[in-house]
Amino acid sequence: MSARTDAKSIWAARGAGSSTAYRLATLTPVLVLVAVFTLFPFAFAAVTSTRQMLLTLPDQTPFIGLQNYVDVLRDASTQNAIRNSLVFTLLTVPCVTVLGLAVALLLNQQIRGFGILRALVLLPWAIPLVSAGIIWRLLLHGDFGALNGLLLQLGAVHGYVPWLSSPSTAMYSVVVAHIWREFPLPAILFLAGLQLIPGEVVDASRVDGAGVWARFRNITLPYLKAPLLIVLIYETMISVSVFDLVYVLTGGGPGSSTTLFAWDAYATTFTFLNLGQGAALSFIMAAFLLVLIVAYLRIVRVDEGEA
Amino acid sequence: MRQSRLSKAALAACGVLLALVILLPFLWALSASLQTELALFRRPPNWTPNPPSLENYLYVFTGQVPHAYAARGLLRSPITQEARLLPIGLMNSLEVALSVVALNLLLGTLASYTFARERFRGREAAYVFILGSRLLPAMAVAIPIFLIIKTLDLLDTKLGLVLIYSAFTLPFTIWVLTLYFRSLPKDIEEAALVDGCNRLGALRHVVLPLAAPGLAAIAAFSFLFSYDEFVFALLITSSTASKTVPVMIAAISVNPDASYTLIAVGIVVSVLVPIGLAIVFRRFITSGLVASMGRT
Repeated sequence: MSARTDAKSIWAARGAGSSTAYRLATLTPVLVLVAVFTLFPFAFAAVTSTRQMLLTLPDQTPFIGLQNYVDVLRDASTQNAIRNSLVFTLLTVPCVTVLGLAVALLLNQQIRGFGILRALVLLPWAIPLVSAGIIWRLLLHGDFGALNGLLLQLGAVHGYVPWLSSPSTAMYSVVVAHIWREFPLPAILFLAGLQLIPGEVVDASRVDGAGVWARFRNITLPYLKAPLLIVLIYETMISVSVFDLVYVLTGGGPGSSTTLFAWDAYATTFTFLNLGQGAALSFIMAAFLLVLIVAYLRIVRVDEGEA
Repeated sequence: MRQSRLSKAALAACGVLLALVILLPFLWALSASLQTELALFRRPPNWTPNPPSLENYLYVFTGQVPHAYAARGLLRSPITQEARLLPIGLMNSLEVALSVVALNLLLGTLASYTFARERFRGREAAYVFILGSRLLPAMAVAIPIFLIIKTLDLLDTKLGLVLIYSAFTLPFTIWVLTLYFRSLPKDIEEAALVDGCNRLGALRHVVLPLAAPGLAAIAAFSFLFSYDEFVFALLITSSTASKTVPVMIAAISVNPDASYTLIAVGIVVSVLVPIGLAIVFRRFITSGLVASMGRT
């Protein structure tokens, strides 16, 4: 008891530099930076979104209440973007999660050479998203894409298919590129979860004659519950806000078939120069993501409490 | 025994498949970058460069125009002047990324140590605020941040990028480092404090050496984030004064007149640094990711 009090007094001693000034000095720079670039933009977007703000009319920015929100939500292009983002998210999140889990289960096997594989798996995630997108542009391009070359050589197609510029395949092209880029993160998280499963538990169930599927359902999955929730929420956030890939792969087209929500907000602001509506769109997106963030923090913090 | 050997073989086959899925796209970019434009347009293309040629790289780094482009004719490809800016972009990217790493190591360490060891009013609120903000994707606040940077008169400056990237990486850094510092035993620090070290002394001489793996992880993360980032770089940079690699290669790749072999060169140049970093820092990145995504 007394040892503990001693320790406390050591930590509290002013001579040790533990003062309000010290705390302020160490925390203020970070808090200011973070506030200026997250809290302030959030508020800024909220205010801008209630004004009519066109870059073409920079001197007239009247307050128009929620008109921008009404306008963008009524706008067919926003509705299209929401629909596209929904389709994109529903396609990518389950695929990324299942693929990540499969890769983690594979990498968890003790097989010679898999050490290298665990390093390789980081690569699609480590490179710039733009580079990943351009790599897939080289693979899927309608004039010289490697996939077309391969399919032609195998006799599967008679001519080159414009995967990126045909409305029926453009979305799937972006989806495939996104999955290739995103699966490493879930794989790493699931792998870490798998490595926490005690070997004895698995051995015991094997002795008891549990089949592969039963072992997976009753032992593996419960251990992976926390990472699974985190991956689902995190990947949803990533899919909802995807932008870079669209920029280099399709530019939102052809037509508006790959215009995802973030692209729509970007185009509204920087192509149509309507800052008010652009801010409304980005505020809608930020608010939606904030809900996911709160859910995420709750899971992580509850999880931390249990540990 | 037989069956287990069989299933091992099946698993190994899956492993090979995974390696191919990861590597083939990279290898195709590499192969394309070593070919001439004409060879790339064959249907099907040459899968391996025959013979490999460094002319595209020479053009980017020295300005020497490749022979294939000198030949006039219908199939002569346009050449992309922008590709010549790549070396400048690479320097900009490295400068920005290393500055962000330095700021993270300095400010992040100090703040995390305070969060890990001090008790004071508002600590929890400040912590949650910082943690929550780390998850906000760039695009959601990109437009207002563009306007803020414009107001601060920092458009088209590396400093503008450094500030934005620091604001986006510091929360992550603080999350990882606070958890890391908390996991270190207090006794040694207390001994140092008794011996007359002040708070900063204990941090420098005792805590930081012990936390080296955590520091390596956050250095790698903040570097990769800054090096890879595209949305802000696209919005606030406009000239070689601050354009980074992703902005340059994106501009080349969406330019309908661009030569495809030069696009491939752009890919190779842009991925070399992150790939090297990911391989060298693999262990730190993996453990940092796992720690930062919650106790999985």
